[in-house]
Amino acid sequence: MKFIKNHLTFIFPMMAILLGVEFFLVFDRTTTNYEKNLREGYSMFIVASEPISLADFMELDSHINQSEAVKKEELAKQIAKGMSKSSTQKILDALPHFYNIKFDSYLHTSTLEHIKAYLEADDRIKRVETFGNSYGASYTLFSFIKFTFKAFVIFMSLVSFFLVIKQMEIWSYAHKERMQVMETFGAPVMLRSGILFKVAFIDGIISTVLTSSMFLFLKYRWAEESHIDILLEMQDLLFQPIDFLILLATALFIVFVSVYLVVFSTKE
Amino acid sequence: MSSNIVINASRLTLSYGHTDIIKDASFSVKKGEFVFITGPSGSGKSTLLKSLYGQIKPTSGSLMVGGLDMINIPRSKLQGLRTHLGIVFQDYKLINEWTVAKNVVLPLIISGYSMDVQQTQAKRLLKHVKLSDHINKYPLELSGGEQQRVGVARAMSKNPFLILADEPTGNLDDYSSNVIWDLMENACGQLETTVLVVTHRIPAIFSIPYRHFIIENKGVYEVH
Repeated sequence: MKFIKNHLTFIFPMMAILLGVEFFLVFDRTTTNYEKNLREGYSMFIVASEPISLADFMELDSHINQSEAVKKEELAKQIAKGMSKSSTQKILDALPHFYNIKFDSYLHTSTLEHIKAYLEADDRIKRVETFGNSYGASYTLFSFIKFTFKAFVIFMSLVSFFLVIKQMEIWSYAHKERMQVMETFGAPVMLRSGILFKVAFIDGIISTVLTSSMFLFLKYRWAEESHIDILLEMQDLLFQPIDFLILLATALFIVFVSVYLVVFSTKE
Repeated sequence: MSSNIVINASRLTLSYGHTDIIKDASFSVKKGEFVFITGPSGSGKSTLLKSLYGQIKPTSGSLMVGGLDMINIPRSKLQGLRTHLGIVFQDYKLINEWTVAKNVVLPLIISGYSMDVQQTQAKRLLKHVKLSDHINKYPLELSGGEQQRVGVARAMSKNPFLILADEPTGNLDDYSSNVIWDLMENACGQLETTVLVVTHRIPAIFSIPYRHFIIENKGVYEVH
């Protein structure tokens, strides 16, 4: 019973960290998709006195990654309905150049304001209009959710990490005599803390398997049985094979760091 | 300093906090010598022994062990030195979760010797200390005397240049004590290993020549 309790006090906090990591991965994947939609729905409309190429726009601001020239011919035709060809041509010549520009990432509203001001300062550009009224509100809400979620995951991971360290200290104390004997005979840190590594590695692997199993259950059973639309839509993003490797690497990294912290903080 | 000298202490002071345990002690031990250090309880015998394997750093003076300066020795060199020492403790300090054979070859494991070498050496040493029948047993299945024989075998397993023993017979009956002294004598007499033993009582029957130092009033003096 004591043996199981000893291991569970390591496995549970480790699982809490791994759950945090996996939630973070899933959250990141789903929000990337959402960010893409927001980004694509946002554009700036430029009115210019002379033609401007994408390279010119990119020179003005590196976040600009797409520019689409609005065809003036269609506009001129609409305006000059019933007029002669020469009049249409005159209207066409008088019309400025119109561009729709898009950005490479989901930008902060202040950055967009800055870009807008920068574009307006260019002599060739007469006017800059933005489309996407909900962008600012969405950005604020989305950023707040992201920040809160990340803060929660980091806080939970930190608390769990301290619990992992505490358990490691208990193990270190339990094996203190053996480690001291080995040290007296000249064993390097790696060898004398081998017993801690061994126990922690096994528990780290168990934690990874349990966490992965939970998410696999969530993905293949719970998501399907719940009939919740969003869960079904996001089912693919819930747990991917690479996640197992990420969780395992995280667990082993935590094991490594915690063993070293405990071993090096123990004076001879 | 002659290469024949294994330990050389000059005006050595050892302290715990602000309290000096050994003060201005000077002595040297040559290769192949058997040395007893005696003194009343609390006189600093164990402290002196601990300083010889780097468990305690001298406060002042100089202390050379195997040609290495124990005051300024880097951690990596200290580890290296310890792999060439054999240390015997009063309370044996065996690893109870390991078999007797594995305990004996601990210094070989640390030095990365192959499994074959470890097994051969474990058999040879356990035969030498007359514990061949206990090779796969665990320390707690043995008597105190047997455990100390395992401790001595462990100390000798890598043919160290220096064996340091802290009250090796302190917990043993006369018969077991005599067996341990025999093993120590053999190590010194046949293998030319330097042996330094801290004890409160020198055995009545001891067949090889030895030197005797006594710790008194914080000083280390040779008894002629």
